[in-house]
Amino acid sequence: MKRSVRIGICTVLILLGTAFLLYGIFSGQVAGVIAKATHICLECIGIG
Amino acid sequence: MAKAARVRGEWKRLVVQAAAFLLQNPKLHHFFLGTIEKGETKSVCVPGLNCYSCPAAIGACPIGSLQNSMSGGYKKPAFPFYVLGFLLLFGLTLGRWICGWLCPFGWVQDLVYRIPFFKKLRTFRFERYFRWLKYAVLAVLVIGLPLLSAFKGVLVPWFCKVLCPSGTLFGGIPLVAANAALKNQIGFLFWWKVGVLSALLLLSLLVSRPFCRYLCPLGAIYGLFNRIALAHLSYEKETCVDCGKCVSVCPMGIDPKKQFDSIECIRCGRCARACPTDALTVRFGLRKKAESHKKSTI
Repeated sequence: MKRSVRIGICTVLILLGTAFLLYGIFSGQVAGVIAKATHICLECIGIG
Repeated sequence: MAKAARVRGEWKRLVVQAAAFLLQNPKLHHFFLGTIEKGETKSVCVPGLNCYSCPAAIGACPIGSLQNSMSGGYKKPAFPFYVLGFLLLFGLTLGRWICGWLCPFGWVQDLVYRIPFFKKLRTFRFERYFRWLKYAVLAVLVIGLPLLSAFKGVLVPWFCKVLCPSGTLFGGIPLVAANAALKNQIGFLFWWKVGVLSALLLLSLLVSRPFCRYLCPLGAIYGLFNRIALAHLSYEKETCVDCGKCVSVCPMGIDPKKQFDSIECIRCGRCARACPTDALTVRFGLRKKAESHKKSTI
């Protein structure tokens, strides 16, 4: 893969990742993550 | 008794892996209380497969969060922007270097593989086909079935529920051991997961990192970034003496000379440390111009 192509793809994906992260924060998806992570996930531990 | 091939300076990686485990799971007192940490930091995804139901965890598992976010958190199916943002950024910067240095379950498999066993297998017949299983796990257990459940209005993290050995080892077993209420609820599913964990740990005596090679959906995602990630394996053909030491020490059973950008390479650097002429190096940053034109097989 040419260096310029690699840098181009990398830049686009970094911008996309940042945009996704920010959109996720402002659309309230953080609340869903923390709600799941702060309660014992019964499925994860093999009970639910 | 066959021993795992030893490489100079390998202890440094084991120390980094142990430190990474403690950084992601510093609230150790919860292990004795049978409870889990409930701090605000749990809104942030950690890079490795670190169960958020591990009592000491202060971050969220990206695979668990991905399944939960797709299900819209008990509401309706949603596009998981937030978690995908993390995965994209982790993948682009570190790629599978995360597997080699930061993942707690990778660390456990590395420790188990160091135990001398009657035979150590580098690879076996048809092994390459088994490696595609992790993409099936990603497609079916992480994306397909949780989405299907979400459309039916229920949230089921299928991968966590039926397969994830990290959740059993760091979450399930310690919680059940310390929490009487949970202990009373264990049934077939718990013993199934203990069975999966035991099988993988036993297999780790024979094959290096079987879960990472064949089943890990997070490794499957990060592997896709290996060709462009800032953390990469640099190979200088001119200085290579073709001694084959890199091949014999690779924990993922690949040929680092030919497959330095492989989706399987976990950037652990064992090949680089074993190389007598420093033809292989793990680097961070943009690839040099010459490196960009070299061809690597998958």
